[in-house]
Amino acid sequence: MIKVGIPRALLYYQYYPMWRTFFEELGAEAIVSPVTSRVMLQEGGARVVADTCLPVKIFIGHVLSLIGSCDFIFIPTIRSIRKNTYNCSKFLGLSAMTRAAVPEAPPILDIMVDVNKCRLRLYQAIYRLGKNFTPDPHKIRQASLDAWRTQLKYRYMMSNHRLTQPQAIAKVLGTSPPESQVESPETKTTIAVIGHPYLLHDDFISHRIIPRLKQANVKVLTPEMLADTTLESAVMKVMGRIQWTCESEVVGAGEHYLRSDVDGVINVMAFGCGPDSLMMDVIRRQATRLRSTPFMNLTIDEHTSEVGIITRLEAFLDMIHRKQRARVAVCG
Amino acid sequence: MRVSFPTMGDYWVFTKAIFDKLASELVLPPPVSQRTLTLGVKYSPEGACLPFKITLGSMIEALELGADTIIMPGNYGPCRFGYYHRLQEEILRDLGYKFQMISESMGIRRMVASIFKGSRLSEFLPGLIFSLAKLKLLDELPHTLYRIRAIEQEVGSATRIYKDTLKPLDKAKSYRELRQVKKEYLKKLGSIPTRSSDGVVKVGITGEIYVVLEPFANMEIEIELGKLGVEVRRPISLWEFISNFNPLVTAFGLGERRRCYRAARPYLSCHIGGDGWQSVGEKVLHAKDWHGMVHLEPFGCLPETVARNIMSKTKEELPVLNLIYDEHTGKAGVISRLEAFVDMIRRQKRKPAEGKRSNLTGGRAHGSLSGH
Repeated sequence: MIKVGIPRALLYYQYYPMWRTFFEELGAEAIVSPVTSRVMLQEGGARVVADTCLPVKIFIGHVLSLIGSCDFIFIPTIRSIRKNTYNCSKFLGLSAMTRAAVPEAPPILDIMVDVNKCRLRLYQAIYRLGKNFTPDPHKIRQASLDAWRTQLKYRYMMSNHRLTQPQAIAKVLGTSPPESQVESPETKTTIAVIGHPYLLHDDFISHRIIPRLKQANVKVLTPEMLADTTLESAVMKVMGRIQWTCESEVVGAGEHYLRSDVDGVINVMAFGCGPDSLMMDVIRRQATRLRSTPFMNLTIDEHTSEVGIITRLEAFLDMIHRKQRARVAVCG
Repeated sequence: MRVSFPTMGDYWVFTKAIFDKLASELVLPPPVSQRTLTLGVKYSPEGACLPFKITLGSMIEALELGADTIIMPGNYGPCRFGYYHRLQEEILRDLGYKFQMISESMGIRRMVASIFKGSRLSEFLPGLIFSLAKLKLLDELPHTLYRIRAIEQEVGSATRIYKDTLKPLDKAKSYRELRQVKKEYLKKLGSIPTRSSDGVVKVGITGEIYVVLEPFANMEIEIELGKLGVEVRRPISLWEFISNFNPLVTAFGLGERRRCYRAARPYLSCHIGGDGWQSVGEKVLHAKDWHGMVHLEPFGCLPETVARNIMSKTKEELPVLNLIYDEHTGKAGVISRLEAFVDMIRRQKRKPAEGKRSNLTGGRAHGSLSGH
């Protein structure tokens, strides 16, 4: 059986169930790299230039960890999934960058997804990808349709049942959700954590921000718990146009949660992330203008001291609790 | 309507020529200076790239001079450049400036209409073509300058002639005058006393277009390289960028950009926004005819970071010096790195001829440097 390696980084969180369905329908096995570790960051970071952003360094580390255990590595180039809206350059050059940085990697399966070109191009790209496993076009068509259905189900599950991506992936695959993701029943405080899923749900990158908040008896909301249409209309309201595919996760979710009744919004961004550096400022300005919800920005890089993050989370929570107490005192 | 543009290098001549025939008045912001940068840095998000900060500073300086409309280009694509005008408009409004921002976010048709409001097409169209002729000249003039600058006897004389030419170029009103300006410029450059061109090395400059074209942003790298006896090659220019939209140029894969894309294809097969694809291609394409390449980028530039990762692993070998710019202004650091780079290229160039001798002397050849 052909084994396809999928790095547990970047787009994995958004599309893993879809990819897995596609490859399994075609008779291949999908192998996911292990959870991010410090060794991956060190090895991945050594392969690329120093100022490449943290998620990409970790991505390269994941690719390195897959060498030897699979026949192909799947690195799609998702250029654009909405008209005139593109992904960040790092995603566009990801497969080329991996090829340059990891020459010893197994053959890279690359598929270019760009909806600005005609539909035929997309179908051709899917067929070219499937041809590696079977020559039968009907089987490939069936596999891609099933994969698409899985993706819709996955997306629907997250927005309707308010699940995070790791929870939804666990549910789709039928495994039990990781321990730290289980909700505690009694919570008074709700905090929205916004940012890209590959930052929020990678426990190594984010220093376990979400589990930590849950430990502190806080209900955590994330961008994927909102429907795509909600996110997109929120971006349109603030910016008038969507420039980046990932914009809805930051600007859209930020705008939506700032106007909703959450007690605080935390934005997580990676140091050196281009789109985030501007989008964060848009949301920060919006928060200042609205004056409705406390807002904090956490910039994360490869330094591994967790204490700084913990201190800031504690201070933020303390501030929110004090605000809540003050409100209760006024009402009482 | 008092319209303004953020500045870039010497292209104010071109901008002025366009607005010559328009009904609206042009407010030219002062050339980029330390003040522009300081203003921009003060009000920009810290992670934004250098061109964002400089253009924001330039806009503030234009608004201080009384501009009420700012034109800022933008585009669809992965580069942050397309996002500039949205955030810059918000920042300037939060600062309390009252102005109108003309950019593609208002729709291309409305954008064109608001620029041309009140001017007649029959007057404007010849004016536009004439300003394009000026732009082409702005692209041509520096090439001779680079050649002379590397071998001039008195440092700075060629640069002075170039700077003096900009004024008559700006004043020129007809094609004949343009030809006159060019002729005089070449004559003056030709009369500069020069050395022999034996030790001259050819170094290409490539990278992110704004940092390449704005001398303040790149700390006058062309002049500094010229002082080191380097003949600069700079394929990137505004003219080259605009000619990319000409179907006649691109149809047959002509033009620097298309050739670069073709050359880069084995390593990078799609557009990654900005000038990233071209930067990779530039190295592959000119591996034979340049002795080295200086690659410029603002810190955190998305396409160029990807390009740099790919560029360093190509089969074609060419020494590349990567210079990453942000708002810190240590020019001395840039100069000493350029010196080391040029020294290295010279040594490499001498190597084949000295092959035998260096074998005899072994590792001691550079002993004096390390203090033996």
